[in-house]
Amino acid sequence: MSEPMMDRAASFEMADDLEAINRLYRERRWSDGLPIVPPTAARVERMLAHSRRGRHELVALVAPGFGTATVERIAINAVMAGCEPEYLPVLIAATEAVADPEFNLQGIQATTNPVAVWLVLNGPVARQLQVNSTFNCIGQGHWANATLGRALRLILQNIGGAWPGEMDRATHGQPGKFTFCCAENEENHPWQPLHVERGFAMGDSTVTVVGAEGTMNMNTHAKGAAELARVIAETMIHPTSNEYVHGGEPWFILGSEHAEIFRREGWDKAAVKRELWERSKMAVKHLSAKEIDRARASRTPELGELRDDTLLPISPRPEDIHLIVAGGPGTHSVYIPCFGNSHAVMRRIDL
Amino acid sequence: MATLTLFDPTAPRAGDTQAAAAHSTLRGLAGATVGFIDNAKPNFNHLADDLADLLQSRYGVAKVIMRRKSSASIPADPAVIAALSLECDVVIAGSGD
Repeated sequence: MSEPMMDRAASFEMADDLEAINRLYRERRWSDGLPIVPPTAARVERMLAHSRRGRHELVALVAPGFGTATVERIAINAVMAGCEPEYLPVLIAATEAVADPEFNLQGIQATTNPVAVWLVLNGPVARQLQVNSTFNCIGQGHWANATLGRALRLILQNIGGAWPGEMDRATHGQPGKFTFCCAENEENHPWQPLHVERGFAMGDSTVTVVGAEGTMNMNTHAKGAAELARVIAETMIHPTSNEYVHGGEPWFILGSEHAEIFRREGWDKAAVKRELWERSKMAVKHLSAKEIDRARASRTPELGELRDDTLLPISPRPEDIHLIVAGGPGTHSVYIPCFGNSHAVMRRIDL
Repeated sequence: MATLTLFDPTAPRAGDTQAAAAHSTLRGLAGATVGFIDNAKPNFNHLADDLADLLQSRYGVAKVIMRRKSSASIPADPAVIAALSLECDVVIAGSGD
């Protein structure tokens, strides 16, 4: 492991001209298509001061190019995205998380699917860094949400080598590939937040990476838990889903008003997951013939022979459905269909 | 105008050196064993079958080995990669649809 210690980022001298610097980074495809903050030696130094790890320490190999993500390279991309220096530990943990084999980054980065990487923050870090968890939490307007998600995308592209049309083979992609980051609203929450559900302490700070195919808003004025679960489950059912083909891991951002409906009627998180899992089963015959072949290749070991009337669960187990609570007031929740062959990965942030 | 020190945000790709090493040991296809990793997308097997015929009839390939993944979106099983790397002179991991 001595080699990575010498793995220094390449540097060069250039005139202090913002337009010219941006032109160069644009020509070399080092940007995401938006102007960047020049990663000067001084800015990178300020960023590095917020990690206890060594500058040239290897954090992870990032697929599909398996580029070496050192602390220094993560900091360079973070500067370019406009991150504040204190965001660096979040990005180090997120880079470790995406490189976990459970996440299947090689598939996520190189696929024709539009999958983006969604960052979910839990614990004190979300408040310290002012990561938005309320109004418009996956929309625009908050520096931490916008720049953290953007920095991870630059890391995936520049260190992972996933340039659109090259190793990133996405047919359309999606806006979430520019940035996709929020925190969970732990103050207005009827259950344990995500990191506590996964075994961390309430006072731990964590980042979770999710392979998100997109976002589907669910506007419902349903006022009863059973009715609310039914309409959410019926939204999940769609025959062009990767999740039914492979057995996925669907995610939901429940708005506080919807979460309150479940709480009021005594449904815990496990009960909501089980109801959604049962009610979202879809008969195999709704898939196209080619998708039935794909589903057989992926799910026969789990479900046995697939016939036209076999009911496919969206995920192998009810607990593979994940819920967070976030967003402002309103009758909305968000279904986040996922890549299918990927598991979300959570990492503690070493602040 | 003052000058700045700026950083390149990219990283060397581990795969580049592996690919270069593979190039340096392959001396043509005659008598070679060629492997295919079938990505499991519809019809890739037909494409690979035709390519196998061509490799053998036109380029003198001695043997073609096919291994199918369970899904296009997951990497090949490490045991499959290990076995192919022992048996094959070159492996084609293409994408067909």
